[in-house]
Amino acid sequence: MDEVIRVQNLSFAYKQDYEVLKNISLVFDKKSTAIIGQNGAGKTTFVKLLKGLLKPTSGEIYIKGYNTKEVSTAFLSKYIGLVFQNPNDQIFKNTVLEEVMFGPLNILKDKKQAQENAIKALEMVGLQDKMHIHPYDLGLSDRKLVSIASIVSMDPDIIILDEPTIAQDHKGNTIIKNVIKELKEKGKLVITITHDMDFVAEIFERTIVLNEGIILLDGNTREVFSQQEILKKAYLELPHVAQLAKKLGIKQTLLTEQELINFLKHNKLNN
Amino acid sequence: MRYLSLYQEGNSLLHKIDPITKLLFVIIAILVPIIINTLTMALAFFIISTLLVFVARAFKRTLPIISFSSLVIITVLFIQGLFYLKNQTPFFTLGPFVFYKEGLLYATGIAIRIFNIINAVAVLIFTTKPSDLIEALVKKGVSPKIGYVFSSVLQIIPQMMSIVDTILDAQKARGLETEGSFTKRAKAFIPLIGPAVLNSLISTKERAMALEVRGFNSKKKKTFLNEVPYNKYSNVLQVALIAILVFSIIWRIISW
Ligand SMILES: Nc1ncnc2c1ncn2[C@@H]1O[C@H](COP(=O)(O)OP(=O)(O)OP(=O)(O)O)[C@@H](O)[C@H]1O
Ligand SMILES: [Mg+2]
Repeated sequence: MDEVIRVQNLSFAYKQDYEVLKNISLVFDKKSTAIIGQNGAGKTTFVKLLKGLLKPTSGEIYIKGYNTKEVSTAFLSKYIGLVFQNPNDQIFKNTVLEEVMFGPLNILKDKKQAQENAIKALEMVGLQDKMHIHPYDLGLSDRKLVSIASIVSMDPDIIILDEPTIAQDHKGNTIIKNVIKELKEKGKLVITITHDMDFVAEIFERTIVLNEGIILLDGNTREVFSQQEILKKAYLELPHVAQLAKKLGIKQTLLTEQELINFLKHNKLNN
Repeated sequence: MRYLSLYQEGNSLLHKIDPITKLLFVIIAILVPIIINTLTMALAFFIISTLLVFVARAFKRTLPIISFSSLVIITVLFIQGLFYLKNQTPFFTLGPFVFYKEGLLYATGIAIRIFNIINAVAVLIFTTKPSDLIEALVKKGVSPKIGYVFSSVLQIIPQMMSIVDTILDAQKARGLETEGSFTKRAKAFIPLIGPAVLNSLISTKERAMALEVRGFNSKKKKTFLNEVPYNKYSNVLQVALIAILVFSIIWRIISW
């Protein structure tokens, strides 16, 4: 198991005496990971800490061995990329291409290479035809895709997506799923915050449940979704397929449509 | 919405008094010692406003302003003590310098008047939310447009600052060094100005539209969202304060 991120006794407070995260310790390897939890659980805060934009109040975070307290955020950006929850917090250039090139230009210092990477990333999210448009002339869903492309173009080993699927229609969702799959194939650690349980069930190997600043559950996605009682405590629902399977009286936790179909076919044959 | 403001939450008596009364007090604390130009009057108001600073539990926050202006006042004390035109009676000597009583008294008068103004204003700004003050003024008949201009001015700077912070984060997050040497920071700051200004213009436009759809320009009489339950004695206080002002003017005219 090669360790990519190590979090040790991490606590964080924006305001004194009000801890948003409480003594969290965990390790990330290459397994794609979903972070779920209700609004205000501290998910965004947690990934901003990983990214080095916030520094721990106490405890330590190591990104590929670098302590986030000891290196600059800019330095870390070679290794870890964060797609912000709100794309408007991230976009500040005048054209889509410039926006996506900003990161690679800082890292590579080579304009041609940076442009190549940027165009590749834009193709990945299907925006190659909108390269010369002002980002604010795009709708929210496309702007979110721009913000994803601008991180992918930097080619970091760790990519964190903060609610990538908000405001996306089916097409946008499919694009994002494909991007994540492609990143996984390239051997990158993908961490995603989301409220979409179907998305979690379909894509991610590991799931972490944050609740009021502590980790309520952490493990294999299937194991996590079989802890229905605990999930209920965190006000989280099961993926739709799992709900349906429960209603059908199936004991196992099934996560995807395909699994359910296979299960039903198999059982029919047996009966 | 964040305001540029020195207000701090509290529950002192002065937090409960309505903003207009406090504003009136500031005006009177400044005007009366000018109208009745005696050291006793200045001293009286200085004592009152100092007491109020303590009642407002704002002494700690007023102290820095006081100490800063003390620097200026000490120089005034020096200059007047040495060179005041009516200097006659030597008071004490410091090395080769002779300080005179008249000059020192004159400078003390100035000091008391300045500290009085600082304390009075401190009581107002440390215990009053700017938005409450503006709303109170609008209730008293100041045009809502003027009120809006004031509150925008107070909002725009924190707003720009938070936009700048956001963009700085976005830049850092994508590999631009914004910490460290001056040139590094300058390099990060220059590309910031464009989007910061643009973003605040966009939000100004959006705010204007939001105001318009809620009938900001309507000529109907407006009602207010906040009916703040201020101290019920505020009317009495206001009348008393205005009476003090009127009396001091009459006094001045009579004793001329
Ligand atoms: N800049 C800030 N200053 C002060 N408090 C903050 C700040 N940002 C977030 N918080 C508080 O920290 C807590 C956790 O917020 P966070 O944004 O991490 O939640 P989240 O899990 O990402 O929620 P959501 O699902 O709504 O995005 C909340 O109570 C929030 O109000
Ligand atoms: Mg969030």
